[in-house]
Order: sequence, then C-alpha cells, then structure tokens
Amino acid sequence: MTRYLDLYWLFLIQRLKTLMEYRASFILGAASTISLQAASIAAVWVVMQKVPSLNGWSYNEVLMVYGFVTLTKSINHMFADNLWTIGRVYIRTGGFDRFLVRPIDPLFHLLADRFCQDGVGNFVVGIALVIKTSIDLGIEWTLPKALMLIVATISGGVIFIALNLITAVSSFWVIDSVPVTRLVFDNHLFAQYPLTIYPRAISVLLTWVIPYGFASFYPASYLLGREIGNLAWLSPFIAAFLMFIGYRFWQFGLRYYSGTGS
Amino acid sequence: MSVIEVQELGKEFQVPQKDPGVLGAVRGLFRPRYENKKAVDQLNFQVEAGEIVGYIGVNGAGKSTTIKMLTGILMPSSGTVRVLGRDPHKQRVENAREIGVVFGQRTQLWWDLALIESLDLIAKIYDVPPARYKEVLEQFTETLELGSLLKVPVRNMSLGQKMRSELAAALIHQPKVVYLDEPTIGLDLIVKERIRDFIKKECGSKGMTVMLTTHDLGDIEELCQRVIIIDNGHVIYDGPINTIKKRFGKFREITFETAENAKAPTLPAGAEVLAAEERKLQIRFDRTVSSASKIASTVMSQMEVTDFSLSEPDLAGIVKQIYNGALDMEEK
Ligand SMILES: Nc1ncnc2c1ncn2[C@@H]1O[C@H](COP(=O)(O)OP(=O)(O)OP(=O)(O)O)[C@@H](O)[C@H]1O
Ligand SMILES: [Mg+2]
Repeated sequence: MTRYLDLYWLFLIQRLKTLMEYRASFILGAASTISLQAASIAAVWVVMQKVPSLNGWSYNEVLMVYGFVTLTKSINHMFADNLWTIGRVYIRTGGFDRFLVRPIDPLFHLLADRFCQDGVGNFVVGIALVIKTSIDLGIEWTLPKALMLIVATISGGVIFIALNLITAVSSFWVIDSVPVTRLVFDNHLFAQYPLTIYPRAISVLLTWVIPYGFASFYPASYLLGREIGNLAWLSPFIAAFLMFIGYRFWQFGLRYYSGTGS
Repeated sequence: MSVIEVQELGKEFQVPQKDPGVLGAVRGLFRPRYENKKAVDQLNFQVEAGEIVGYIGVNGAGKSTTIKMLTGILMPSSGTVRVLGRDPHKQRVENAREIGVVFGQRTQLWWDLALIESLDLIAKIYDVPPARYKEVLEQFTETLELGSLLKVPVRNMSLGQKMRSELAAALIHQPKVVYLDEPTIGLDLIVKERIRDFIKKECGSKGMTVMLTTHDLGDIEELCQRVIIIDNGHVIYDGPINTIKKRFGKFREITFETAENAKAPTLPAGAEVLAAEERKLQIRFDRTVSSASKIASTVMSQMEVTDFSLSEPDLAGIVKQIYNGALDMEEK
C-alpha cells in the first residue's frame, strides 16, 4: 500500500513536470473549467430565480447538492480520467500492453499514468460551494458533519470511479467504451438536484442502482439536517461494494484483452 | 525445469468481418459477423536457462502473439505457458518482476518524459535498489551510448535512439527472461550492430534467457544458437541455426527476365530451376559448386535475357523450402 502511494507520488511529479512543459494547454484547460463551472452555476441560479423553492428546497440548498456532485465528480476527474480514454488512447493503439508487463497492478498503472489537472478546478469550486452555502444557510459544523464531508467526498468519488470502471471494461470487447460509459455517467446530472423532485423511479435508480445520489443528495441532506440524510452513512459501504464489483469485472475483462495485430 | 515451457499453446482471435459499402456497415451494426482466426495453434517448445533463441517466421506467422502470451499480455485460448514455473497471465505481477520486454513497434517509455526520468520511474516500479540502479545505468549509458540522450524526451528521438533507450528500459532491472520482438526493425546497419553487441554482452554474458523475434537473419546468425521457425501458428523447425545455415546458406537464387517465354534451359551442375513462369525464370544454385557468372552465361547462351537479379535466400524462401521437405531429406 505505501509502495503504491510512493509510486503514485512519483507518477504525479512526472505528470506535473510534463504539464509545465505544455503550459498553453494547461492554461486553456483551466480557463475552460472555470467557464464551464460558471455556466453551470448560472444555470442553477436561473432555474432558482424562476422557482425560488424547488419542492421545499431553497436556492442555497440546491446549490449545496450541486456543490457536492461537483466535488465528488472532481475526484473521478482528477484520479481516474484515463477510464474515459482507455479505449481510444491505450487499447486501440496497443499502448495498454505495457501496463500488463510491469510488476504493479495494471489498473493502478493506468490510473496513475495520467493525473488530470482539469479536475482540480472543479474540486475547488465544489468544496467552495459546499462551504459557502453552509455558511449562507447558517449550518453549524459539528464533528459528525465535518466527518461526513470527508467520508462523502471520498465515497462519492469512489462511486463515480467504480461506475466508470465497470463501463470502461467494455473496451476490452468493443475498444471504444466512451458511449457505454456516457450512458451510465450522464445519469449523474439527475444528482445535481435534490432527488425528491423526481418521480420515484428515478430516485430509486439514483439511490440503489446507479447510486450517484450518495455522491450528492444524501450527504447534502445530512448537512442540512434532513432526516433522509442519515442514509449518507451508507456511502462508504456502497462505494466499497461497487469498487469490488468493478475490480472483479476488470480482471475478468483482462482475459478478453486481445491487443492489436501489430 | 526449463525456463519457458509451452504446451499445446493456441490463440484464437475473433476478427469482425466487414462487408463493403454503407449497407455492409449497417448490416454489421445489427448482425456483426465474426471469423475465428487461429493465430497460434498447438505450439510446443521449451527454452532452457541462458539460451538465446531466435523465433522467426514470415509476417503474420504468430510470433508476436506467442510473445504476448509468454509475457502475460494475452490469455491463451488453449494449452499452457509456464515461465519460471508460473502462469504469466494469472501470476502477472510475480512474472513481470522477472521479465524484460521490448516491442520494436511501440514504446514502453513515456512519450513526454526525458529518458532519465522514464528510467528513474521504471527503476522504482521494479523496485531496483538505488545502488544497483546507479551501477546498471552507468554501464548502459556507456554500452548504449545514452550519454547525450538522457535529457531528451522520447518524442524527440530518432528510431535508433529510441530503440537503444527501449533496451535500457527493458533491462534496467536485470531480468532473468528477456523477450525482444523485432528490436532491430527499421534500423540502419551501424545501429543494428550496436544493438546486437549490446544484447550479446548484456544478456549473453549474464546468462539471461532470451527470445528474439526478427526478420533479419543477420540478427539470428550473430546472436542465436537455436532457432524456432513458425508458420501459420505452427512450429515448422526447432533446432540449431547451423542446420539451417548449412542447408540454405550456400544457395543463391538468380531470377532472369526473358524476351520470350522461357523453355527450361540445360544448366551446369549444382543448379536447378525453381520456377519458370511467363517470361521469368528462377534458378537456384549451390555456390560451392557453381557460380553466378557461370549460370548467367549458360542461360544467356540459350535464350534472350532482358534482365536478371541475384538474391540470397530469405526467410520466406526458407520457409517454402522447409515445406517442400528440404530438411526432411537431410535428416532421413
Ligand atoms: N488483436 C488481434 N486481433 C485479430 N487478429 C490478430 C490480432 N493480433 C494478431 N492477429 C492475427 O494473428 C496472426 C498472427 O499475428 P502476429 O502479430 O502474431 O504475427 P507476427 O508473426 O508477429 O507477424 P509480424 O512479423 O508481421 O510481426 C495474424 O494473422 C494477425 O492478423
Ligand atoms: Mg510481430
């Protein structure tokens, strides 16, 4: 474990060095992150101007849900962006082979190979939104609430990663897994808003099937003191379970990896 | 126990069949058709510690597929592979510690990192003790002349520079088993020579077990005692390189283009017609018995020749002749 942490650190340093070399693309990436975030927050704001309360949720409360999803998604974005590119960049080119001949876990190698700096901006925005809205709403930060912020951030991030992992495994058969990943991933858009505004089927889906709810709605509800928020303590178990499934499926998929002809 | 043991090894690929045209593409979308392609079939061989084995065959013979199964990249469809007693696919990490791999067609290094940074990282991945790493690096810097390359990112390297770097990266942890899949592809003679020397020195003298794939018979002659020739996924020859050299090394081929369709000419001793096609005549001769000039003048005296060329036997020719029983005859 510490060996893997050490290695991650070394990969990260090299990655940052490379990023410094491509300064222009770094700055462009940061600029696009900021403008995208600004646009999304503006969208929430516009919606809340029209309907000051969404099913009993105020603007700041909705913004907190949005902040959570931004935060947890950014973990996935920073640490597991290669699950998006595995097919196009690694499998189609045969570059994936090299992960398979080294004495470290190939999945770790894949993820560590590219820390994605674009996620950092989202992480900052996400955490800022959660804290700002909590101040505006006059929430008192108790120990359990602080703990929840940490637990939910990590668990929510892992939920994002695990779901992307499960769908990314399809690249061992179809090479480009992006459409499959999109199909599942895009459901997180529901989790930008309180699940209570949706028909029951959708909130069940987002809680028990594709549990993005645990990456936003439930922890936010907990901080807001809503009763349903207690479910949020399940998030680490759900995250661990999904990751377990994802990893097993990944190992299964590796048996079908056929590389390229040349 | 042999270092590499391959038993009844087979690999099938599912190749999607594409029908031509838009209609074909649409049909493929709804009802994809697959054809099973046997890339490797019922392979059997063993490699002992310290051997350098040449693994050769024409394009598409199944060499890379075999290497990928030996390294654990691909899971066999049938049969078994054991490397130092382990299953390379199931015991991937343990196996990976003991092996070094070069795929001449692609890079193992990080495209954007300076060579030294890549090597540092690889040494960490393989957990090479710092003192050992330093020593090996110094040595490689000298033998592969990497001095001026250490600070250069791989993306800025020429093919030859890249291949030297790849070798360093593959051997920096001093593996027991080394797989080299076309390490001299596309290189000029001087770089080839240097790489051969390096392999001889690093692998040969340190008792590493090496499997070397190449299309350059020169590599094989210089490095290997033993060759395995495969074709269509099957082993068609496994034995000393000397037998191959003795049997095929003394032959040359002359191809004549003739003004009219050639009749079979009368030839001097030691020469035979390999093929007589329309306006083309292919003759093989034993250069210990006859000579190119003798054959040429004999043929020219019998028909009008517009052009001719001389060639040494290549791998494809050797494979063809093995099929035609060239080796059986001698063994019996
Ligand atoms: N991933 C794959 N999917 C489908 N077919 C494949 C795949 N990899 C290899 N093949 C097929 O298997 C056969 C053997 O390929 P392989 O790459 O092992 O040949 P090779 O001996 O290394 O050839 P070369 O000398 O050209 O490198 C070829 O017919 C090839 O088309
Ligand atoms: Mg090959």
